[in-house]
Amino acid sequence: MSDFVKSLMADVTAKNEAQPEFHQAVEEVAGSVQVVLDRHPEYRSNKILERIIEPERVLMFRVPWVNDQGEVQINRGFRIEMNSAIGPYKGGLRFHPSVNLGILKFLAFEQVFKNALTTLPMGGGKGGSDFDPKGKSDQEVMRFCQSFMTELQRHIGPNTDVPAGDIGVGGREIGFLFGQYKRLRNEFTGVLTGKGLNWGGSLIRPEATGYGAVYFAAEMLKTRSDSLQGKTCLVSGSGNVAQYATEKINELGGKVVTLSDSGGYIYDPEGIDAEKLAWVMDLKNVRRGRMSEYSGQFKSATYTEVDRSLDHNPLWAHKADCAFPSATQNEVNAVDAKNLLAGGVFVFSEGANMPTTQDGVDQFLDKGILYGPGKAANAGGVAVSGLEMSQNSLRMSWSREEVDGHLKRIMTDIHQNCVTTAERFGMKGNYVAGANIAGFLKVADAMTDQGVV
Amino acid sequence: MPEGRAQRPRRSLEAVEVHGAGQLMPHHVHEILLVSSLYDSFTLSEDGKLSDLIMSEFLDMNLRHTPGVTQVSTGREALQLARANPRFNLIITSLQVGDMDSLELARRVKELRLNIPVILLAYDNRELTQFMAANDTSDLERAFLWQGNAKILLGIVKYVEDRLNLSHDTGEIGVPAIIVVEDNVRYYSAFLPMLFTELMNHARDLIPDGLNLAHKIRRIRARPKILLCSTYEEAVSFFDRYPDDILGVISDIEFPRNGKLSHTAGGDLARHVRSIREDVPVILQSSLTKNQELADEVGSSFLLKGSPLMLNQLRRTLQHDLGFGDFSFRMPDGREIGRAGNLRSLAQQIREAPDDSMVFHGEHNHFSRWLKVRTEFALAEQLRAVRISDFPSVGAMRDYLAGVIDVYRRERNQGVVVDFKRENYDASAQFYRIGGGSLGGKARGLAFINHLLAEFKAADRFPGVTITVPDTVVLGSDVFDTFLDRNNLRDFAISCDDQDEIMETFHRSPFPEDTLLDLATYLKAADYPLAVRSSSLLEDSQYQPFAGVYETYMLPNRGTDLNHRLEQLVSAIKRVYASTYSIHTKRYIKATPYRLEEEKMAVAIQRIIGDHHGSRFYPHFSGVARSHNYYPAEPCTTEDGVAAVALGLGETVVSGENCVRFSPRYPKHLMQFATTEDLLEHSQKTFWALELEEDHISISGVPALSEGGPETNIRLAKFGLEQAEKDGTLASVGSTWSAENDVVYDGTSRPGMRMVTFAPILKHQLFPLAEILDYLLEIGKKGTSSPVEIEFAVNMNTVDGGSREFGFLQIRPLALAPEVEEVDVDSIPRSDQVCQSTSVLGHGLVEGIRDLVVVDYHRFDRSKSLPAARRVGQLNSMLVKEDRPYILIGVGRWGSADPWLGIPVAWDEISGVRVIVEAGFKDFKVTPSQGTHFFQNLSSCNVGYFTVNPDAGDGYIDWDWLSSTPAVDETDSVRHLRFEEPLLVGMNGKKSAGFICKPKR
Repeated sequence: MSDFVKSLMADVTAKNEAQPEFHQAVEEVAGSVQVVLDRHPEYRSNKILERIIEPERVLMFRVPWVNDQGEVQINRGFRIEMNSAIGPYKGGLRFHPSVNLGILKFLAFEQVFKNALTTLPMGGGKGGSDFDPKGKSDQEVMRFCQSFMTELQRHIGPNTDVPAGDIGVGGREIGFLFGQYKRLRNEFTGVLTGKGLNWGGSLIRPEATGYGAVYFAAEMLKTRSDSLQGKTCLVSGSGNVAQYATEKINELGGKVVTLSDSGGYIYDPEGIDAEKLAWVMDLKNVRRGRMSEYSGQFKSATYTEVDRSLDHNPLWAHKADCAFPSATQNEVNAVDAKNLLAGGVFVFSEGANMPTTQDGVDQFLDKGILYGPGKAANAGGVAVSGLEMSQNSLRMSWSREEVDGHLKRIMTDIHQNCVTTAERFGMKGNYVAGANIAGFLKVADAMTDQGVV
Repeated sequence: MPEGRAQRPRRSLEAVEVHGAGQLMPHHVHEILLVSSLYDSFTLSEDGKLSDLIMSEFLDMNLRHTPGVTQVSTGREALQLARANPRFNLIITSLQVGDMDSLELARRVKELRLNIPVILLAYDNRELTQFMAANDTSDLERAFLWQGNAKILLGIVKYVEDRLNLSHDTGEIGVPAIIVVEDNVRYYSAFLPMLFTELMNHARDLIPDGLNLAHKIRRIRARPKILLCSTYEEAVSFFDRYPDDILGVISDIEFPRNGKLSHTAGGDLARHVRSIREDVPVILQSSLTKNQELADEVGSSFLLKGSPLMLNQLRRTLQHDLGFGDFSFRMPDGREIGRAGNLRSLAQQIREAPDDSMVFHGEHNHFSRWLKVRTEFALAEQLRAVRISDFPSVGAMRDYLAGVIDVYRRERNQGVVVDFKRENYDASAQFYRIGGGSLGGKARGLAFINHLLAEFKAADRFPGVTITVPDTVVLGSDVFDTFLDRNNLRDFAISCDDQDEIMETFHRSPFPEDTLLDLATYLKAADYPLAVRSSSLLEDSQYQPFAGVYETYMLPNRGTDLNHRLEQLVSAIKRVYASTYSIHTKRYIKATPYRLEEEKMAVAIQRIIGDHHGSRFYPHFSGVARSHNYYPAEPCTTEDGVAAVALGLGETVVSGENCVRFSPRYPKHLMQFATTEDLLEHSQKTFWALELEEDHISISGVPALSEGGPETNIRLAKFGLEQAEKDGTLASVGSTWSAENDVVYDGTSRPGMRMVTFAPILKHQLFPLAEILDYLLEIGKKGTSSPVEIEFAVNMNTVDGGSREFGFLQIRPLALAPEVEEVDVDSIPRSDQVCQSTSVLGHGLVEGIRDLVVVDYHRFDRSKSLPAARRVGQLNSMLVKEDRPYILIGVGRWGSADPWLGIPVAWDEISGVRVIVEAGFKDFKVTPSQGTHFFQNLSSCNVGYFTVNPDAGDGYIDWDWLSSTPAVDETDSVRHLRFEEPLLVGMNGKKSAGFICKPKR
């Protein structure tokens, strides 16, 4: 850790007491852009990093509401308007009892770079409340949302700050929030994303992350004049990301041989084709059944139950070309990484959030395989949020194909951005460094251009 | 009803019995102490042995309580015995008893405060008259004269009992009374037994109206009381106290008033009565014919004492004036135009009788009186308050009266267990029994609900919904005994360890012929699917929950072949019988204080609530509700109860599959459905129905049943929600998930994936489910004086638009662990406790835990919560394999999605846990996590859950002890402690408090 980062961290810790999550996030970013600061003193002298860690504005407000028993309840509302250098503040609202200033600052800070990386004009922000929607009636949730928006509406707008959903804020809450905003401001604008399809929402939302991860992998392969055609792929998980990644892989000529859930995984060497996938989608989305049923349905497959006494996940030990971890955090550890490499995997695109432990990532970078970190590879979800804003501004609703086309273009742009940035800083092929630096640079340059604001 | 007068609230006879406290005739003569000289007793027992005599008199009268008689010959002995044995509660003494006279005996009894009435029974009228004239007899309860008829004893006993029970039965419940005024001992000693005998005979005549034995006994006990008075003042005071309940007055003409014999006392009394209650008949009696005029003058009937036709006269008087016997419809001139012997014919004739007759009876309150005599107090009271002037026309009164009687008749049939009679079975009642013996726990529960519903008039409380116990026939445990004994199966079944052999032998053994005929008769009228349920003596007993030990079978009961259906039914019954001796049961019983020989099995055969949907048969939804919830979440409290409901048959709920949980008091606050992901994960995806397709499962009787195996409920099949949507049953409980919008919409109007949320019912008032459950749990609690669990099924009957049916299937007192309530947490020294909390979910004592996994406060680092979670998972799988339940203690939230806030374990990583403790960490306070998965699993696995925040002064945890106790395994902050002696966990679900004690050293 350089002296600069050390003193910066000392400052951050002193100024932001009891916000350990935020400290860690700042330290990570500072570490990853060290090389930029070393090479380009203008970022240092403009105090870009010092400015970027200080939110442009922090709103903290009272949210009073009345529960079904007629008792007055008071929650605390937040909106962190972190950075608007490249576009209106954009980021989710979280309703959860754990919400506090430190957590939201940490999330808003990360959002700035995530959004910048998408190449879309979106700043960074985050907000929410310590309200717990669990066990509340619809009416209570509605009254809370209305009270929350009654204050928030004066700070947001389609060109100022466009919140989205997050934990505890789904389609229902977005609906209540939007309704109150529209009523108070007397205008129908794209002030929130995640809206209902019939009132301003976008298509391809469930598909976006899975599709995006596959597009990103295809782009990575392209750098070696290769494609997904004929590639054997390991996919973990069986939710939206895994299902749509599988769909897109099939579309692009690859063969998916694994899927999993919390009970275990299936290995189908003949591949999970469109027909089998349709069956899986019915199983998981409609019947909410277990993956173990797959091997009963399709004789070519074997099912392996989760064994917690193992130090690795045997799913990653199968021979393959590509892997798409699409289940959960930390599902790939150092042993798994070793197995993957031994099994011939040379494309690794993260559909899940932070699925690989640091010692796993280090091995991938070491061996120089095509490793697409989640930050870049699973930006599809954020991208479609941006596309919802675009459609709202245009007062248009694009077809599935149009949205998918834009998604593919965005993923290509992100990939390109990562590649050129990494190369520029002498780390060719390192998508992790590329993604970290590209996001930062985009924001830093815009801030520089716009003067000390 | 028309505007009536204010009336005392009255309960029906059946209601009286439900409330225990209101039991009729609470006082009984148990043991008579007969004090008489040898000579006197010789006189008494001239006709045979005295106690035999009494016994035969009482038996003849169909009386349940036959008092015992103990004879002694001296006052001293009598006093000794009476003091030694409190069962003696009546002393009958002759005039002289050797060492003392009857007066002295009575005085001593009073002095000793024995509170036993002393009755003088004299053998010689002359002697008695002299004795009475010469002494102050106020210590004696009353004197009687023996005249050679043993019925006098019956008269004495009934006289004493009526006096003791008067204020309760008449005062509180409204049992009518007849005042008899007579100062002549000789006369009333003869008259009283005669009158009692008449009343008993009358009560016995009413029995065909009563439905079962309990009902019959109630009727007999509700016979009118007799109040014997000897003075004007006594008579007036009784009348003035119970003017509404006095059926009539039978009075002498000359008797004492103001301490002197008055020649006009009878007439004065008649006038007094008339001035207060014009409609109360007064019958005057005298040995002088000339007094007939006096009687006419005051508008009374007249009885001639000493007439050879006395008995007939009395009977006629009882019928005419007091309303005994059939109701006689008369014209105002006295001409009889019709008779009614029961309620049905009364209502019918009220509709047909001429106006003049109706006015005549109405004005004289004859209907009410007649009903009262027939012990129909509630109805009598209702009609008494009605006056002709309340109605615009005679026709209106007629309609009202007949209507009220009809409603009453229907209600009376509700809530009663009717003895099954092949000859006149008409399926009109809800609950029948075949064969004697016990109903067993489950059926008793059903009978009780039946009763409860009738008592609280719950059936019509919710408009558009009928709340019922589905039609039930119970085979009493005597049938079980007969079957075993005739076939010599008892010893075999107890000693045989081969379940299949028992089953087969039972199948081969013939079923009692008589019962078979009954069942055939029943099946002729029952053409719907049936549940054949075990109802053992031990089942559903509060502290020995046998629930679920025995079998339930479902029968399609379809097709025209009665023999075939009968064969299936009998086969199922035999299976239930055989299950009494299954290995499972034998093992289970071993763990209880019972012996298998004591177990008896009744069988409840019940209509299954539901509708045909193609080949499927099922109710719209079923569920279970409890009056107490030991895992309450805001805003619910423990007392608000909890319900679990599912589409289709209750199998889904009972077997712990996904269903909807809610508190009946807060039906819109669903813990489990906070996010769409929760909904997708935790909502019902399939439902159970009875598959009735003939070719689907073989129904060739016994073989089909055997194939099913004893643990299988034959013909149950699972279907997907798309089937429910086709059947039209999903609409009332369904919601729709839009994948595009990731929103769950209430109802099924939009395209998307269907799921079961009960939103149309819980949120949109399609059916008052929450209100009904809250109400039933409330009356269930009242009825059993304990927390209860109920099972139910609802048929919305949407196809033909008929009434919606709420079937009340079961009620069980919830087994509470009483011992915990007695543990005073503060009495345990803090140094002996690992942990103490006032925020605890769960209930009961947990003993025998010797393992403890702790994420140590002093060693834990918040950024290392992930490895800690994995380590806990490894320890868990090891402990599960070894079958060692453990206590888990950690900092922050267990199962937190955010690794900064706690230990991010998944449920299966802590699946073997018995008690969880989550504690506040250095810089933050934990709130009980109750994540959906956790919440669901905690309550279904009955895991204890403690939350402590010692830094906030909330609870206590001994981190230093946990830290310093040597661990058998230690990886970073996760430590596994194992103890020689067990830890003790106590939780009080009502107070949400609990403790964990360190192992004893």
